[in-house]
Amino acid sequence: MRKFLLPLVALAALFATPALAALQVDVTQGNAQPLPIAIPDFVTTDPVGANIASVVRADLERSGLFKPVDPRAFVDKVTNINVVPNFANWRVISAQGLVTGDVVQQPDGRLRVDFRLWDVYGESQMLGQQFFTQPANWRRIAHLVSDAIYERITGEKGYFDTRIVFISETGPATRRVKRLAVMDEDGANPIFLTRGDYMVLTPRFNPTAQMIAYMSYIGAKPRVYLFDLETGKQEVLGNFPNMTFSPRFSPDGNKLALSLENNGNSDIFVMDLRSRQVTRLTSDPAIDTAPSFSPDGRQITFESDRGGSQQIYIMNVDGSNQRRVSFGSGRNGTPVWSPRGDLIAFTKQDGGRFDIGVMRVDGSGERLISSGWEDEGPTWAPNGRVLMFTRSIQGGRGAQIWSVDVTGRNERRVMTPGDASDPAWSPLIQ
Amino acid sequence: MSKSQTPAKRKGPPRPTTARSNPAGFAISLFLHLGLVAATWFTWNRMLDSSQESHAVPVELVVAEQTNVQAEAPPPDPDLVIKPSQSIDEPPPLPQFVDLEPAPLPPIPQFKIVTPKTDLDQPDRPKTKKQIVQEADAVLNKILAQAAAPKNAKAGPRVIQGAGNQSLATADLADALKSQIYRCWNPPVGAPNPNDLVVDYTVQLRVDGTVMGQPQLSGNSALGQGNPYTRAAAEAASRAIYQCAPYNLPARRYSDWHEIILRFDPREMMGR
Repeated sequence: MRKFLLPLVALAALFATPALAALQVDVTQGNAQPLPIAIPDFVTTDPVGANIASVVRADLERSGLFKPVDPRAFVDKVTNINVVPNFANWRVISAQGLVTGDVVQQPDGRLRVDFRLWDVYGESQMLGQQFFTQPANWRRIAHLVSDAIYERITGEKGYFDTRIVFISETGPATRRVKRLAVMDEDGANPIFLTRGDYMVLTPRFNPTAQMIAYMSYIGAKPRVYLFDLETGKQEVLGNFPNMTFSPRFSPDGNKLALSLENNGNSDIFVMDLRSRQVTRLTSDPAIDTAPSFSPDGRQITFESDRGGSQQIYIMNVDGSNQRRVSFGSGRNGTPVWSPRGDLIAFTKQDGGRFDIGVMRVDGSGERLISSGWEDEGPTWAPNGRVLMFTRSIQGGRGAQIWSVDVTGRNERRVMTPGDASDPAWSPLIQ
Repeated sequence: MSKSQTPAKRKGPPRPTTARSNPAGFAISLFLHLGLVAATWFTWNRMLDSSQESHAVPVELVVAEQTNVQAEAPPPDPDLVIKPSQSIDEPPPLPQFVDLEPAPLPPIPQFKIVTPKTDLDQPDRPKTKKQIVQEADAVLNKILAQAAAPKNAKAGPRVIQGAGNQSLATADLADALKSQIYRCWNPPVGAPNPNDLVVDYTVQLRVDGTVMGQPQLSGNSALGQGNPYTRAAAEAASRAIYQCAPYNLPARRYSDWHEIILRFDPREMMGR
């Protein structure tokens, strides 16, 4: 009998289906579409409520990761942000997120801005914040709201409360006037910092976004200058005998790397901004320039033609361990280390084209992410997710600033008054 | 020598130590003290007055937990503010919006129907050695192709290999669920470490395909809630679960899908 039983039990065990076991499913493909989000005008009697919501909608739409639902499609009206919304009314317009806010004038003249972010399908509040500010600051409040929503939904830091320093270009090609200018990340509030009676190039923010290093031809001698945005004061950086150019601040703001030209050769130096002591980092007879610090401040990436063509190198911050990392086709230059540390953005010249590329810091995984004819000079958003760069229009018809997601998606123009080039993205405003 | 100096000091005239011994000194001291009190009172009053005249500097306070609004920067020189009407001849063109590329659809399974050949009508002939080898190769190829079965095995390898003998029976259910839920899933793909974005949910379904209760995070993803990327990924997956419900699944096999464990893994989408 046991002879028969054993195989029978084994057979039964083999075919027994655990009826109560959960069905396991791997979902590996999704639908990478911008997230539909409803942002009604903030509740207030003042027009600033509509203005804030409008800037938040524009910020999130511009990121390419959100799709604000047209307010004309709303079937519900928010009158009180302290009651739970009727989520069904927002599901019918396919909104997955809902932002409700109000603006209250305080007795001291300030504005109190409250907002809540709701998960329409989960029917829960994801975020609630309150700000106090002077009425003139409403645009910054809108950007702060956008940053908070972006961070809560994507897990990444936002970048809307930032500024861009760039070169504004006017006049005919033969007598181009180049002026230092700054604007908000969305192109609002553009301001000239210099009058245009001397040429300026390669502006870079320091980590507090209060200081700009740039190269200028004041007195027909190209040198690196510092511009203090608080005071408007400018100073020449160091008393170098020859041309200095290509400045870049260290992540702690205490040092500045730059290139110094000498008899047709250029090398990279670093200056301690407190002691003004200068240290030479490269001494190769080839041209070494365009230094950019890693976010931990321990390494510097730069471009050099020491191998026969312009390529990207990395060295330690003391100049040791210099090694080439770009081995792709064509020439590669203007490397910029991502604030996240994982990628280096650069300009590739190949086949008569200039493209923006990114690669890992060991040189692997190279990808081209822009699609223009002459795109160059990338700069990273502080979250390492978006880049801006200069796009020259074919036929010498001017220059524009464009932005693109690090994935290569969502390429779009950054609106500037007139031509603009050489953008540098500030850190988040403190 | 020191001995001779000490007695000499002792012999000196006694020093006046109190006012009792000098009434004039007492009067001078009293006068000076009164003067000091009057001066202090006068100065105190003046200080109070001056504080009322000083200019109060308004300080901008920000109460929100994440905000850092500062006082406004000094107004720019009006000559330096860019006036678009002055610097451009024509309005700047509108930005060109680039449509996002749609995500690639999963491959459609191609079923190949094999009709067995019958050689019954043909007279038997002895096979050559070459024919025997070719037939053996053909059989081997067919077996190996079936074993690999990449085109028809639309269900993920985890379904086939990982979940034991129930998976073969429910692979079609897993396929059906995946094909319904993928269009609602919009994962945040910007994390530096893609492994942070893999989340598991245990979901209870009703027989009509609606979601019963709250989907529960499970596995490692439940531990990674402090990571903002994992939290964002978990919420994106939760939105997908709700948004795509109710699920269209055969009611007669409800016992197979009343509870599902969904693993949302965007690493393939990110190309990593």
